[in-house]
Amino acid sequence: MSILTILLLFTSLGLTRVSKLKTGVNIILIQSFMVGLACAVVGIEAGAMHMYIAAILTAVIKVGLIPYALLSIVEKLEHESEDHPILNSNSTSIAACIAVVLAYSLIDQTLPGAGSRDALATAVAMTLIGLLLIMTRRQAVMQIVGLITMENGIYLVGLSVTKGLPLIIEMGVFFDVLVAVVVLGILTYRLKLAGISTDTSMLKKLKG
Amino acid sequence: MGELLFLALLLPIVTGVLSMFQRTIAAVNIVNLIGSLLISGTLGTIVYKVLVEDVFAYNMLYVDHLSAVFLVIVAVLTFTSILVSISYMEKEVVHGHITFKMLRRYYGLLHLFVFTMIGVLVVENLGLMWVAVEATTLASALLVAFNFNHSALEAAWKYVMVCTVGICLALLGTILLYYAQVNVVGTDFQALSWLDLKRVGSQLDPAIVKLAFIFILIGYGTKVGLAPMHTWLPDAHSQAPAPISGLLSGALLSCAVYVIMRNFIIVQAVINHEFLQYLLIGFGVISIGIAVPFVLVQHDLKRLLAYSSVEHMGIIMLGFGIGTPLAVYGALLHCINHGIAKSVLFYMAGLFTQGYQTKHIARIRGLITAMPYLATLFMITILAITGMPPFSIFISKFIIVGGTFESGRIILGSAVLFLMAGIFAGMMYYCLGMVFGSKPKRRPVAVVTSKPALVAISISVGLVVINGVYIPTWLHEILYMAAKIVVGG
Repeated sequence: MSILTILLLFTSLGLTRVSKLKTGVNIILIQSFMVGLACAVVGIEAGAMHMYIAAILTAVIKVGLIPYALLSIVEKLEHESEDHPILNSNSTSIAACIAVVLAYSLIDQTLPGAGSRDALATAVAMTLIGLLLIMTRRQAVMQIVGLITMENGIYLVGLSVTKGLPLIIEMGVFFDVLVAVVVLGILTYRLKLAGISTDTSMLKKLKG
Repeated sequence: MGELLFLALLLPIVTGVLSMFQRTIAAVNIVNLIGSLLISGTLGTIVYKVLVEDVFAYNMLYVDHLSAVFLVIVAVLTFTSILVSISYMEKEVVHGHITFKMLRRYYGLLHLFVFTMIGVLVVENLGLMWVAVEATTLASALLVAFNFNHSALEAAWKYVMVCTVGICLALLGTILLYYAQVNVVGTDFQALSWLDLKRVGSQLDPAIVKLAFIFILIGYGTKVGLAPMHTWLPDAHSQAPAPISGLLSGALLSCAVYVIMRNFIIVQAVINHEFLQYLLIGFGVISIGIAVPFVLVQHDLKRLLAYSSVEHMGIIMLGFGIGTPLAVYGALLHCINHGIAKSVLFYMAGLFTQGYQTKHIARIRGLITAMPYLATLFMITILAITGMPPFSIFISKFIIVGGTFESGRIILGSAVLFLMAGIFAGMMYYCLGMVFGSKPKRRPVAVVTSKPALVAISISVGLVVINGVYIPTWLHEILYMAAKIVVGG
């Protein structure tokens, strides 16, 4: 479990340095795979049947369908890449490190003794890094990647404090995440079709 | 009753699927007319049954007086917005803005959207409620992006991004609430069930619940359009097709308010009231305040209305924040009144936009000569929405502001009144210009609004006027009981 949390933290930190969209999606694929693995590990430890189902759902949806959908969009966006993010990669990495420290102090203050400290801090840090990516990246696909990181983080919080949500709710959450990515994917694709760059900083027509 | 709830969830799906398979516009219209009557009828029956037979709980489904209040809103708005859609979208097809295929997709998505909103109101479990709220975002996002042009895509992108991030925070809050519940009753015991949480409410760990509620309020508050998380709202509401803008503003925002209230009822058992009051009142007043400059300097009719929605959501939060039974009653009544009045304003704005081919306030002139009937109704509703007596919104605003003064917050009450005066000035300035301003240089396209839209608009305006002088006993009963649920915990 602790190896998994370390690796998860690495993937999230790695995302701050990515400029090629395809690399970003691949990292998300690895990250989701590890979240699914963590889910299975918790399931084995607790002997809970429904955790296996959740792990399989993670594998199918987050490792299979979502990266597939994103990769097929990325292939159509040949000339797009995250060249000039609002916060450059070095600063983002430093900000991400601060997020990790912040996550630890947050956990110690608000949820002392809830589950494993490291796993929980990693989860909160992932949520914060996801948010950071959404705010500082211009490319639509990179923002989606940030959103999935954030969602993975929140899922991990649930995993470490309560051994996951009840199955029916979890299935709803998975379904919503899938549809959200599909909807965002449709919008990204339409942006390209409409001849607008998928650089979302171009979206500033609506004001006031 | 259980069958009725299933029926209410099933009907929108059936109507949506059926309208996807029709061959002509007329057939689509008939399917939707019948469908909307059935949906609203079913919802009305559910409300009636709640009133007569009291609350109903079955498995994951649950309706009480609080859900009934919001079911009334969804029932009325589903009916009116589909009637308006019939006229509005048919004209869009005739004008060649959209194709027949897009029309069918429109109705499919519209019914999916209605389905998700009904889902929010009838599920008992806070986790499922989260799922349903996120589903409303996704269903309506494609409606916001319906035209797929630059502005619509921009609006939809912001909408999905901002709301999904917000809703993710609400999920975090819900997980924390679940953690607090697990600590009391253990796992696998009606996880996140609202009734169960309410039962054990006072034993929950206050520190965790407090943290959970902050996340929940910020998360769902994004969906309500509370400032400073309101940035998606004016864009989405102004870019969606007019009937959808009405639904978004009137029904969806109210549904999000409903979810906050459900969580609020749980947490108020353990968190001290002052903290909750400051949170809700704070968000409320900031929302009212932030709307003022944007209403005073505005160029786009639908954005003007959207910012007015931000203001009204602020007023509703203020009402809940004050927390006296009377103020909560006022806030619930305000949800209904605002829903009906704002939706009809968006419908009319849509018809004006079609007539004048522009959303620019400055270019819409002389409505009173171009469309006398609609312009009169528009003026009445604008007077209503800014809180003029004798219309419905005056009553609920009066109750809320009265409650503020009554609870001894004189400075706050005065400040809110002052801000409302600012909104009034802005709305009046622009709307008087549109209605009575000198004749347009460019004559509007001959606007013959077809019957369904006129009927829907007339009904809504009628309700706005009647509710101002008379609140039916059944509605009073429901509101009274709902306020008791919110305040009594």
